[in-house]
Amino acid sequence: MSDKRRVVITGMGALSALGASTRELWEGLLANRSGVRQVQRLVASGITVTTGGEVDAVSPENVERDHEIANRAIDDALAESKRDVAACGFIWSTGLDTFQMGVDGFVHRSAGRCFSNLASRFPGPRRMIAAACASGTQAVGEAFRLIQNDRVEACVAGGSSVMLTPFYLIGFAGLQAVAVDNGDDPSLACRPFDKKRKGFALADGAGAMVLETLESARERDATVLAEVVGFGVSQDAFDLNRPCDDGAGAELCMRRALADAELMVEQIDAVNAHATATYSGDLAEAAALRKLFANRWQDVPVSGSKGAIGHAMAAAGVLEAIVAAQTCATGIVPPTVNLHDVDDGCELDHVIGEPRDVNAETVLSVSFGMGGQNAAVILKRGLNG
Amino acid sequence: MVYLVAAAQQDDLARVREKKPELWRHVRRYNKPVQLALAAADEVMRFANDPATAAVISLAPCQPGSADLYSWGHVVTSGMASGTLGNLRMNPTQTLHAVDNLAMSAFAIAHRNHAYCLGLGGAAGQAWCGIEAVLERLLSGLEEEALLMAGDQDAAEHDSRGLGVALLFSTRAKPFQPSNRIVRLVSVSRSPAIVDVVPHAANGLTALLSSIANGVVSYFVPPAHTDGFSTVTITLEIS
Repeated sequence: MSDKRRVVITGMGALSALGASTRELWEGLLANRSGVRQVQRLVASGITVTTGGEVDAVSPENVERDHEIANRAIDDALAESKRDVAACGFIWSTGLDTFQMGVDGFVHRSAGRCFSNLASRFPGPRRMIAAACASGTQAVGEAFRLIQNDRVEACVAGGSSVMLTPFYLIGFAGLQAVAVDNGDDPSLACRPFDKKRKGFALADGAGAMVLETLESARERDATVLAEVVGFGVSQDAFDLNRPCDDGAGAELCMRRALADAELMVEQIDAVNAHATATYSGDLAEAAALRKLFANRWQDVPVSGSKGAIGHAMAAAGVLEAIVAAQTCATGIVPPTVNLHDVDDGCELDHVIGEPRDVNAETVLSVSFGMGGQNAAVILKRGLNG
Repeated sequence: MVYLVAAAQQDDLARVREKKPELWRHVRRYNKPVQLALAAADEVMRFANDPATAAVISLAPCQPGSADLYSWGHVVTSGMASGTLGNLRMNPTQTLHAVDNLAMSAFAIAHRNHAYCLGLGGAAGQAWCGIEAVLERLLSGLEEEALLMAGDQDAAEHDSRGLGVALLFSTRAKPFQPSNRIVRLVSVSRSPAIVDVVPHAANGLTALLSSIANGVVSYFVPPAHTDGFSTVTITLEIS
């Protein structure tokens, strides 16, 4: 048995296209509902991509939207944890700089400055994670590692993104990564692992977790939502825009997380997949999961959240880890929203149409970033007290 | 024990283009901070035992993007105001200029590196988090070598001075290139302080390297190079 410190989650906050709370996120997923829709301000701009996962809780007119979205998730997580920021590190990703049209013209918002503003209330360590779509997962993993190694007692970890701007929609459309409008129901824009998938729907969002030592949680009599037991990262070293076909880099980070957790692959009960609905990304991820689970691949339920909330980039990984923590707590795996007809090569034990109660206690949550950075965390049902 | 075994700085892309055509072919489509970081990394990895297994810690620029990207940003925002964005397409190369983890990805591809990686974002003072991460990784025995690299520019909106820097650390004592002395990285310590900063991914690390060249063993990071919330002291042992 390892003598490393045990790390638990005692608070979570989420702002997504499904609502401004972790409860709305979870209930929306269980209802197999998509929050992705046509965004009217994008229609007015004449752009060819007008669907996205918008967060209604903070006005798009607010030029401090990046800061507001993040702070609301952080405050919600701290409130649930009933913890103040003393002895708390801050491991966060604010994604990319934001370029948008403000009331007074062109507005450039620095992601670095946004991070510094958010970090100012935490005593540290204060680390800004930059791993593209894997950032949120890596933020959770790095916080776990800092606490486990006795560098700090607790951390707020997560990420936030404001991506629903013409600047990024046109940019990602140029990379053929986002689902361009073609007259479909906008809520169907993102269809992970489906034959009709055509890319992701870009989204705004924020997710935050309070992680702390089990000892600290017990001393405070805090509710333990889940335990973080493993973390792994890897690089594809293959291509800037697509993963290798066999998902080798993705598989490597998952194996590292398992080794870190001192778990056998047979002990994983469910997977929260990256599931972007890009053609090559889904194929590579499915291949990696089949190799990882070997002869069990048809028996491990897999679910992805981006069909419901879009791809919130720096926030995506932590929002999905929040879903994974809910699965640990309830045993229920939500369905992959918009998955109807599994594509050839994407075969897995997909959860389709309705949630599945499998009494899942140990969940693998994975993210694979553009450029080839991969991150995985393993969460386990928390025993309170 | 953790040792600084090599360091390199790069601020002259014309020279890279002329002297290292193969490297230039690899980096030419990226923006200046990424090109400079990769050119500096290329220098130090000559001293690595195995570039494929070194931990890679990369600092995103505090001034990201490029003049092309900014001018495109203005086109988009004005097109949005007039409702004329329909036919606008973005050059995928310019999209890359907005990506914050690009240097790390390009390095991994060039060196077939699948090892631990940590991209730190473009906030002030992340360089010292990078050095802390080097200590954490190497002291825990997870890797034998770690690369810390950064590239930045004074301003992204127009062509400006850029600077790339790379430091190679190892758990094995080897003479530091270029000074030929053994430089052990002992610790990074912090204490709270509110100070004004000048965010730049590379300037702080080059100032640290200058102090090492002068034999300084307790390097007090100038307040402008910190994150604004703490003073930072790097302790070294030079023999």
